Amino acid sequence: MSEQWRLLLTGGNTASVNMAVDRAILVAHSEGKVPPTVRFYNWVPPAISIGYFQSLTEEVDINACKKLGVDYVRRITGGGAVFHDKELTYSIVISETHSSIPKNILKSYARICNALIRGLQELGIRGTYAPINDIVVDGKKISGNAQTRKINTVLQHGTILLDVDVDKMFSLLKVPNEKIKDKMITDVKQRVTSLHHVLDTSIGFDQVAAAMKTGFEDEFRVTLVEGTLTDEEIIHAKRFEKEYFSSFQWNHRR
Amino acid sequence: MLSRSIYKVPQGKLLKISLTYDENTNMISQVRITGDFFAYPEEAIELLEKELINSVLEREYLIKKIRSIIKKYNIQFIGIDAEGLTQAIVMCKP
Repeated sequence: MSEQWRLLLTGGNTASVNMAVDRAILVAHSEGKVPPTVRFYNWVPPAISIGYFQSLTEEVDINACKKLGVDYVRRITGGGAVFHDKELTYSIVISETHSSIPKNILKSYARICNALIRGLQELGIRGTYAPINDIVVDGKKISGNAQTRKINTVLQHGTILLDVDVDKMFSLLKVPNEKIKDKMITDVKQRVTSLHHVLDTSIGFDQVAAAMKTGFEDEFRVTLVEGTLTDEEIIHAKRFEKEYFSSFQWNHRR
Repeated sequence: MLSRSIYKVPQGKLLKISLTYDENTNMISQVRITGDFFAYPEEAIELLEKELINSVLEREYLIKKIRSIIKKYNIQFIGIDAEGLTQAIVMCKP
């Protein structure tokens, strides 16, 4: 019988709750209290997440976010700013010593991205891993990913774009040079794609989640069994939300 | 004097540096390293910033210093490296 991992479908939550839940799972798994876990989720309201090393005020137009009702949060993972709107977000939490996880960080990105590529295959789409942390379809980015390793545990989260609104995204992000903003928007439109665009029809979250579940199961030869957060994870998540992801100090720390 | 730079590491990620230094002594008094790169462990970036205070703003010196800090804290960078960091910091000097 294949190894059983936990599948969490936590639906839509605020940015701070989403980031707090990922971290709570990481802590619980590092203490051996929960199995390796794959989670699918989305962001309500839409939100911008920035990488751990980014400056919030340099990357995000906070006034525009407030005006448009868009959340913002600093991740514990590196990488760039992401506008989370019409997408499926996944996270995977698994021990660094698990035999399926390469010790080499880049190789582990590739391994986990391969689960998503298999998921795309389920939808009839041919994606390829584009190092460092992207998946592309026909040379255009459809998925961005970011990984951290803490307390001997890997947390990788990332997105699969269901649809993309580059103009709205740029109305929320700051650009280093306003003069070249239009050119940047044109460039990004050429470099980014979505499931809607590739399939030429809109596709729902649940259908993508089902495909990605199969992708993870096939890549890691496991069975994903739907479960729920433990009481302890919920307590941890509430604490992380308060102390980190909804706090001014955390979000503005750089 | 406060100075900034933006540098895209070849084949890598974007580095944005905000640097305060003394023009007379050429010594760094504060540096903030931001960008869309990856570093393991993440918290090491703050140690790196701290260790660079009172460093000479000079390429040869900085690259050795940054390499020694990376070794000391066992930092693993993805998307940037000691050369890229040095370049981005040196670029802050007009």
